Amino acid sequence: MSAPETDDRSGPSARSGNTFVGDAWVNFKRWNLKAVRNPFVLVVSLVQPIIFLVLFTEVFGNVAGGAVNQGLPGINYETYLVPAIAIQVALAAAITSGVGLVNDIENGMFEKVLVTPMSRTAVFVGKTAAEVFRIAVQIAIILGLGVLLGADIVTGVAGAVGIIAVGILFSLWFVAFSNAVAIITRDQESTIISANLLQFPLLFLSSAFLPLEALPGWIQTFARVNPVTYGVDAARSLMVDRDVMTVIDVAWFGGTLDGVAPGVAVLVGLDLALGAVAVALLSRASSSDVK
Amino acid sequence: MPTRDTAGPGDRSRDGNDAAAAASASAAAIDVDGLELTYADGTVAVDGIDMTVPEGEFFGFLGPNGAGKTTTIKVFATLLSPTGGAVRINGFDARSDSRKVRESIGYMAQETSIDPELTAAENIEFACEAYGVPRDARTDRVDELLDLVDLADVADKRAEEFSGGMKKRLDAATALVHRPPLVFLDEPTTGLDPKARNRLWEYFRRINDLGTTIFLTTQYLEEADQLCDRLAVILDGEIVADGSPSELKREVGGEVLDVELEGGQAAGERAADIAREFDAFGDASVAETEAGISVTAETAREHGTDLLVALRDAEITVTGFNIRAPTLDDVFLAITGEELDADDGEVAR
Ligand SMILES: Nc1ncnc2c1ncn2[C@@H]1O[C@H](COP(=O)(O)OP(=O)(O)OP(=O)(O)O)[C@@H](O)[C@H]1O
Ligand SMILES: [Mg+2]
Repeated sequence: MSAPETDDRSGPSARSGNTFVGDAWVNFKRWNLKAVRNPFVLVVSLVQPIIFLVLFTEVFGNVAGGAVNQGLPGINYETYLVPAIAIQVALAAAITSGVGLVNDIENGMFEKVLVTPMSRTAVFVGKTAAEVFRIAVQIAIILGLGVLLGADIVTGVAGAVGIIAVGILFSLWFVAFSNAVAIITRDQESTIISANLLQFPLLFLSSAFLPLEALPGWIQTFARVNPVTYGVDAARSLMVDRDVMTVIDVAWFGGTLDGVAPGVAVLVGLDLALGAVAVALLSRASSSDVK
Repeated sequence: MPTRDTAGPGDRSRDGNDAAAAASASAAAIDVDGLELTYADGTVAVDGIDMTVPEGEFFGFLGPNGAGKTTTIKVFATLLSPTGGAVRINGFDARSDSRKVRESIGYMAQETSIDPELTAAENIEFACEAYGVPRDARTDRVDELLDLVDLADVADKRAEEFSGGMKKRLDAATALVHRPPLVFLDEPTTGLDPKARNRLWEYFRRINDLGTTIFLTTQYLEEADQLCDRLAVILDGEIVADGSPSELKREVGGEVLDVELEGGQAAGERAADIAREFDAFGDASVAETEAGISVTAETAREHGTDLLVALRDAEITVTGFNIRAPTLDDVFLAITGEELDADDGEVAR
């Protein structure tokens, strides 16, 4: 059992002076690495939206297409559906954010990171950035697939980037929500279940799959306060290049942006509100004050 | 720290000047005054601890389950804020200067803490980056530590595939990446096989020889005996004894005579009574053990055989006996009235 050939332990090892960005980057890398290590999760969180995309267009395409065409003449159901699937991807991926946090708490990494000199804000910025990055990639994949299936992004590449941006804005409030649940329950199953339970009512009771006018009254009422409606309508406005925002009617810019701006504004407000709750819970969980 | 730079596990260079100044103002690695920690539910886990651990010392912190070891070490590592008293780590106040404290310490938690989805090498790399080990030193540091904890040949395997002991070793490696001048180890070798334990001991000893202060909690008295310059025994949140291992053993008072008996508990009780009445032992302390009795007395060696004769006269059958120097187990028994047994599987909390 000879001592390993190690040291010159001589030089005092300087901390290379991590900056905020440096600390965030370190965590960004770790969470990306973990995501790549778990291709199963990556794939599964894409499979469901893809199944939706294919099934809905194939099964409901003819029926739903009619309803869509009444409001949006000349728009096929694929084109109508793709922005909704993009939002679904954002929703599904955001759930895993809280799950990641619970896992970190369970395997001790949460505490381990707390004893390092890294900025705690940077730690969570890095983690969230990794999740946002993943969501962007997944939405891009869905858009590409949608185009292959016959959807038409009328606004082109710029519109696609805009849809991804809306998807990210949409995902943040749910990321915050799933992290808040994670901290409160500290339990993987509870986090997955509570976030998943919300997923389908949110999606179906919105303008995601059918125009609001085609839906029963009570669903319309709920859909008007459902964040999914705002995300989907904003993304869809970009997709079809006209104002299809169903809930709030503004005429600030004239044209497509009138459909995007109100949605974006609502989502930003929601992100800030839920973000503040999650940040408060997180900083309480990582504070050293006896709780 | 010019006098130290050959030993230099020091991490003081980032803020070199004020760190060095703070450190020389108090040469203590750990300086604790009246530390109290009461959890939110009212549990008083630490109840007024004073201690000073000078730089370079190998310090052991012993106590039974639930004594308050982990709570204390978490306060030192800035994971918990003291509810009373003052704590200075490497010259920095643990409460107000917690970031400086975190830069200058390594911490290995009682529960193994690694990222199971990353490989062994990636876990160490992440720690290197988190502690800001300079980029050009990282590769060497990772290799060195993998080698140290004997995981070089599974460097690229995911940690989730490791056995408990391998995970523990990996965890130990990640606590040392930045060569901190002070390392906190909370039961670092619990659950390791003897070979792995010896290897870690050897390393702890070596980094201690090079100047690293080590604060170690353990349930293995042998470990404390082997490694530590000085010990403190904590019981119910209070320090009930401290000193070097040999000082503590001396406090036990004399040598220990273990007598094995036939006849179970009844025989044990009778034998204990006889031993207590036995004039030649003076004020011996007598305890009943599983196999018989254990007598600690200054004169155990001289008069041990006399006791055996007395037992035979009382028709108690002696099946074996042994006279030995006291161990830390005896210290523990004497102080706490309970045996410290790491293998009893009892885990507080
Ligand atoms: N988060 C907590 N909230 C309330 N009480 C706690 C908490 N953590 C520990 N305790 C209590 O504080 C006391 C000290 O616990 P601590 O974990 O410090 O003991 P320990 O000496 O490390 O024990 P062990 O050898 O089992 O690890 C125990 O009575 C324990 O039940
Ligand atoms: Mg403990």
